[in-house]
Amino acid sequence: MKDDAPIFGFNARREEIVREVVGRVVESTKDPLYTLNDAAYWETKRLEGARRKKDQEKLGDWQRLARNLVRMTEHERKAKLTDLASEYGWDVAGNFNPRVYDISTRLLPPLVTALLAPHKLLELARHPTDLTDLSALEGKVVVEGPTEQLRSLAKRGVMVYVPTHLSNMDSIVFGYALERAGLPPATYGAGKNLFTNPVLSFFMHNLGAYRVDRRLRHSLYKDVLKTYSGVLLERGYHSLFFPGGTRSRSGGLERKLKLGLAGTAVEAYARNLMAGKDKRIYFVPSTINYLITLEAETLINDFLSEAGKARFIIEDDESTRLGRMSTFARKLLGMDSSVIVRFGAPIDPFGNVVEADGESYDRRGRRVDPSTYVRDTSGKVVLDAARDAQYTRELGEEICRAYERETVILSTHVVASACFDVLRRAAGRDDLFTIMRPRDTIVIPRDELASDVRRRKEELTLMEQRGEICLGEFVRSASGGDMVERALRAFAGYHSHPVLEARRDGIAIRDPKLLFYYQNRLASHGLAFDALGPRPPGAPPRRGLTSATGSVSGEGQASAAAGGE
Amino acid sequence: MQIGVIGGGAWGVALAKAATRTGTDVLLYSRRGTEGAQSSAPGAGKVEIAHTYPEMAKAKLLVLAVPSNVVRQVARSLGDHLDGAHLVVHGIRGLATDDLSTISDILRDETPVRRLGALGGPVQASELDRGFPSALIVGSRFGEVTSAVKKAFHSKSLRVYTTPDLRGLEWASALVGILSIGVGFGKESGAGPGLIAALISQGVDEAARIIAAAGAEPSTMFGLAGYGDLLASISLEDRPEVVVGRALARGKSLEEAVAEAKLRVEAIELLPRLIRFTKEKDVNAPGVDALVRLLQGAKPEMVLARLFAG
Repeated sequence: MKDDAPIFGFNARREEIVREVVGRVVESTKDPLYTLNDAAYWETKRLEGARRKKDQEKLGDWQRLARNLVRMTEHERKAKLTDLASEYGWDVAGNFNPRVYDISTRLLPPLVTALLAPHKLLELARHPTDLTDLSALEGKVVVEGPTEQLRSLAKRGVMVYVPTHLSNMDSIVFGYALERAGLPPATYGAGKNLFTNPVLSFFMHNLGAYRVDRRLRHSLYKDVLKTYSGVLLERGYHSLFFPGGTRSRSGGLERKLKLGLAGTAVEAYARNLMAGKDKRIYFVPSTINYLITLEAETLINDFLSEAGKARFIIEDDESTRLGRMSTFARKLLGMDSSVIVRFGAPIDPFGNVVEADGESYDRRGRRVDPSTYVRDTSGKVVLDAARDAQYTRELGEEICRAYERETVILSTHVVASACFDVLRRAAGRDDLFTIMRPRDTIVIPRDELASDVRRRKEELTLMEQRGEICLGEFVRSASGGDMVERALRAFAGYHSHPVLEARRDGIAIRDPKLLFYYQNRLASHGLAFDALGPRPPGAPPRRGLTSATGSVSGEGQASAAAGGE
Repeated sequence: MQIGVIGGGAWGVALAKAATRTGTDVLLYSRRGTEGAQSSAPGAGKVEIAHTYPEMAKAKLLVLAVPSNVVRQVARSLGDHLDGAHLVVHGIRGLATDDLSTISDILRDETPVRRLGALGGPVQASELDRGFPSALIVGSRFGEVTSAVKKAFHSKSLRVYTTPDLRGLEWASALVGILSIGVGFGKESGAGPGLIAALISQGVDEAARIIAAAGAEPSTMFGLAGYGDLLASISLEDRPEVVVGRALARGKSLEEAVAEAKLRVEAIELLPRLIRFTKEKDVNAPGVDALVRLLQGAKPEMVLARLFAG
């Protein structure tokens, strides 16, 4: 059934798609001189000081172009623009190998194969049937959400999955979740830097990923990329975007989204309407929740260092080191439900709820025809980039609210928030760097920690009943002590420094940074220290959690009241 | 194009009349007749009266000019007949007193409409009624909305400005209502022009900080929707908020002062909620604090001393 999804015929259509993208980009470029100049400026800036010979040659080409631009005829400029656009178009366009898809989904979960036996990959591609059954992953990656509804929507319209983003594993984990949910595969954009890891690269390249080169900053490249994603949506390719734009450095939920590529959905929808096709687009906000995160250490260090913003692309982290990856995978395999992918309720590109019938409903439950949002006052469907950008901004706010509701809280998050709170009280001040300053190791008596964890769980349970958050299966039924044990097990042996350490007199706090990382998952809900920057307007008010244990100095209390509640 | 105006009060009727001056036809939802809404100028648009919301929905640009306490109810009923192609703007001053939702937040909740906007600025109903030159500002994040409003209302006697900061405009309008109480109070209690000017400048600055905390542009407070609107209050004797402020300064109780204003003064209900907001967001707001004290019957000298302390 799901083999009907257009992605199975992608390779045959690739050339046509790229040609269409190039055609549209060239046509919509009003001033080739300006666009080429912009590209030459950014590329020269990027390549200056490059050491590789290939890059130096490129630099020379761009410098020559910049010099000659003014003398070129309009015709020559247009030709150059077309050349560049198609060069970028082909670079972006991915591949979809149905055989690899089959191997990686039907026989065994790709994540684990790749991670445990990277050297077997080629062999695997040649003799797929030789593989042993790895049903070991059953129960490790849990898939939740309205999957039946999503399956029926996928037959009717175009699915746009917009999950939270914590790890380079996400696209593979999510791809696996789609398969498990009986949903057709989705195409997605992945950073070109990820293609340097041979394992990730192999899968991503053959599973419909298109390459996004984040080093290219100029408008021509961005146009090609946007147009490409728009054309795919228009042609009905289910797509996956990480609207956070980059992995969450803090471990917290995304509060500000970059919906650049996903934002092409409104235009794609309008273009189809203009062509007489009412092909609905369904956004599915989703969360990917890890008991432990592969790259937690690198990410949180990046968040804490001033360089956080500049290092948008981390070239070297745990996901490029195969050894770390297999340790991580073994860790995941050793514990049940260590990864939870949760699909949220689908919405249309205008933020309306989509019911099982595939129709849109407003906040008062009235059925709305989504095409009316792209019609002008005379009833005609029109393209309007500024209008669509605004719809997309509002959609982003809607998705952020969905993230809060659909986050699945696991033992490591709750235990980290309890431990971090102890640190915070010991510091006496609500200043992140004061809290994390090295001091004598704090040891929390087990009973005390367990009862604080239980109290937090009770609060979370109430929130879950109100639909404000989700709890993992284990958290839902476990005692405070069980949760502490599970967090200890999860933390032990993967991170290079121990996070918590079990001692005779209690649990010793060893790594405040990683505790901060894991507790951040609860910050948006007001259940953990929040140092993640402003929340979006219209976000529900935070509710503070009163401390049951320990005492706080007067000053600390005052600032806690001002900042956290 | 025909636009729809909902609200048969002085403000709604004046807006309808202003639109007819540009040749725009107006569908007016009102229990009364067309009287007062029709401009007699040559080439003026026609006013028709509608009694039901389905009739109103025929107009694709709708202007809401109803009291803030009924807006949710009106929007909910009207919303049954609207779809995503409608443009809706409101000319209502105020914020929801329970959670500080803006009126456009309420419209977003109660209708399927997304292309929303708000009217603000110093223009008075009496100016629109008589065709005296004045200025109006429309805020919307959708260019289609601001240009439709401009097309329907911009005339020789009405200059229409635009801003994308819808939220800022709505907050500025509400805060001007609050500051106007202070203006009335100051004038009646004999403050000199210098002191009044100082208090207003301080108040505007404070309002800008509050607007920033609400997630909008502070600079909107310094424009037509904020300062501009407030300057009109200074010269107006009959603005309800100013009347309340004056009555309080004469030693009237809050109830008596409100009765004197005759119209509902939304700012009074808003003040306690706003104080909570400034505390939650850690915004320094001595002016709002002073007004609350005045409403509670504090002596003006005491309040002034507090304001000028530090």
